[in-house]
Amino acid sequence: MDLTAPAIELTDLDKFYGTFHALKGISLTVAKGEKVVVCGPSGSGKSTMIRCINQLEEHDGGTIRVFGTTLDDNVGLIDEIRREVGMVFQQFNLFPHMTVLENCTLAPMLVRKTSRADAEATAMRYLEKVRIPDQAQKYPGQLSGGQQQRVAIARALCMQPEILLFDEPTSALDPEMIAEVLDVMVTLAQEGMTMICVTHEMGFARKVADRVVFMDKGEIIEEAPPEDFFGNPKSDRTRLFLSQVLGH
Amino acid sequence: MAAPSIWRSKRFRGAAIQAGFVAVLVALIIGATLTARANLSAQGLTSGFGFLWKSTGWEINFTLMETTTTDPYWWYLLMGLLNTLFMGVIGLAGASILGLIVGLMRSGRNPAARLLGTIYIELFRNLPLILQLFFWYALANALPNPRNSLAFAGALLNARGIYLPGLVIGRGTVALAVLAILVSAALAVWILASRRFRQIEPTRQRRLALCSTAAGLALAALAVVLGHDPSQPWITMPKLAGLKIDGGFRIQPEFYALAIAIMTYGAAYVGEIVRGGFKAVGRGQMEAANALGLSPWQVFSRVRFPLAFRAMLPILINQYVWLIKATTLGIAVGFSDFFMVIASSITHSGQTLEFIAILMGGFLLINFSLAAVLNRLNRAIALKGHQTTGAT
Repeated sequence: MDLTAPAIELTDLDKFYGTFHALKGISLTVAKGEKVVVCGPSGSGKSTMIRCINQLEEHDGGTIRVFGTTLDDNVGLIDEIRREVGMVFQQFNLFPHMTVLENCTLAPMLVRKTSRADAEATAMRYLEKVRIPDQAQKYPGQLSGGQQQRVAIARALCMQPEILLFDEPTSALDPEMIAEVLDVMVTLAQEGMTMICVTHEMGFARKVADRVVFMDKGEIIEEAPPEDFFGNPKSDRTRLFLSQVLGH
Repeated sequence: MAAPSIWRSKRFRGAAIQAGFVAVLVALIIGATLTARANLSAQGLTSGFGFLWKSTGWEINFTLMETTTTDPYWWYLLMGLLNTLFMGVIGLAGASILGLIVGLMRSGRNPAARLLGTIYIELFRNLPLILQLFFWYALANALPNPRNSLAFAGALLNARGIYLPGLVIGRGTVALAVLAILVSAALAVWILASRRFRQIEPTRQRRLALCSTAAGLALAALAVVLGHDPSQPWITMPKLAGLKIDGGFRIQPEFYALAIAIMTYGAAYVGEIVRGGFKAVGRGQMEAANALGLSPWQVFSRVRFPLAFRAMLPILINQYVWLIKATTLGIAVGFSDFFMVIASSITHSGQTLEFIAILMGGFLLINFSLAAVLNRLNRAIALKGHQTTGAT
């Protein structure tokens, strides 16, 4: 891994589900420290694209490079990349049989071979960062959705990844809990974390994104800095989408 | 309007119905006991449990401890109960391990393994257990006679049974050694699984568990060394002597035919329970574990299996209790389990009612204890905040 290389480089990425062409030659480069927001109608391939980056989905064509390392079907390589690429899911996906603290220390101890004391200290630091250190001994089922998602962010951070992927992190939350999760994400962005966020939160995109990528039907239609994207969209499809999400 | 009559009160009606039900039940039991006593004394039979201390005068063909025909009935019953427990432990352990393999084959991605698993389950689940038992027993009896035994690594296989090379030690010593190993293994599992030890480093936790297992093995070895008669050789090899086999450790066909039948039949059901359990685990949890960089084995052992096990356990308890009861089929091939010892005792002593009562009590005891332990485990590992038993 070469930390001076671009964090993520996707070139002509193709993905099929049976005969359905989910990604049609996607190319996207994300520099270290860059914050990219990916938006687009449902079924446009946003989630599929970021799930290809850590190989939760296998791609069928094109190349994926993470810090200069090209992903192929080498299992060791995939594990190496997953250590550096954290992911936050729409459905939180916490481990319900472990406490919040155990959720956060599991991977550092097993994968990074951190000692328990160090892993717990790191976990508490990140739980404080997401503002729920007092819930450390509770189980996920005892927390609200917003709290669970913040634990999920802390869990990803505990691996001290270089890149964080967010797959619609607020879509499964009640409206009053969206803000507490977005606040945490804004803090992370301000601290220079490399982030790719699939989200419909256009306010968040305006506030922190370096670039907004608009996808439709498996293609990238438009990518631009937020002020151009929202102020002067070039494509009709982007304009239609924006009028639908911002129109009310 | 006048105050409602007490007869219209829901609580009073409920209590009255309960009281009536209990009264009828008590009356029935008392009536049945009195009638039975009257009839028995009319036939000149004495009831009571005094016969338990009389010696039996007949033999059991399989016991885990020394037994002679002068031993009293209570000792025979205890041997029968031990045999049932022994068969239960071996049968349930075998069914669980085999069932886990079959269930994993059925829920995996490999089409060949899936097909094999499906064939296994359809075959063993759809044939009556007693038929399978007769099949294994017939197979065991169709083996060559002792003169033409099949030999394999010092072990002999023939129609009389499986003869393994055996250690020359007393049965009491074996019991002690087995006890030491079981206790230390249980301790190791407790150290690895209990919340009490979660604060310790995993490497130290593993070392502690290893120490416990090693201590158990050392104790067992010590028991074996001390229990060995120095004038005897250590190992006895099975050898053909005339028409029979001398020496070695014999496993009789009745025992292993029943054990195989219980294991293979049970595994078909356990396999389906295992598959259902794995199906109940959300894909999201496994994706999260993968995304964190856990290896496939770590994903399985830390996330997939623990969650699947919680879904399996309530149904497994049912299946285990069922399988324990199925061991009573041993009587069909002549394995001396609790049921068969009771049946023989009834024939020899004529104390039918008492023995039936002991039989029922024995099985209730075994199955209640099994279910109680597993139910406790089920409550202890319930997902907090998800299931009604989990305290919030």
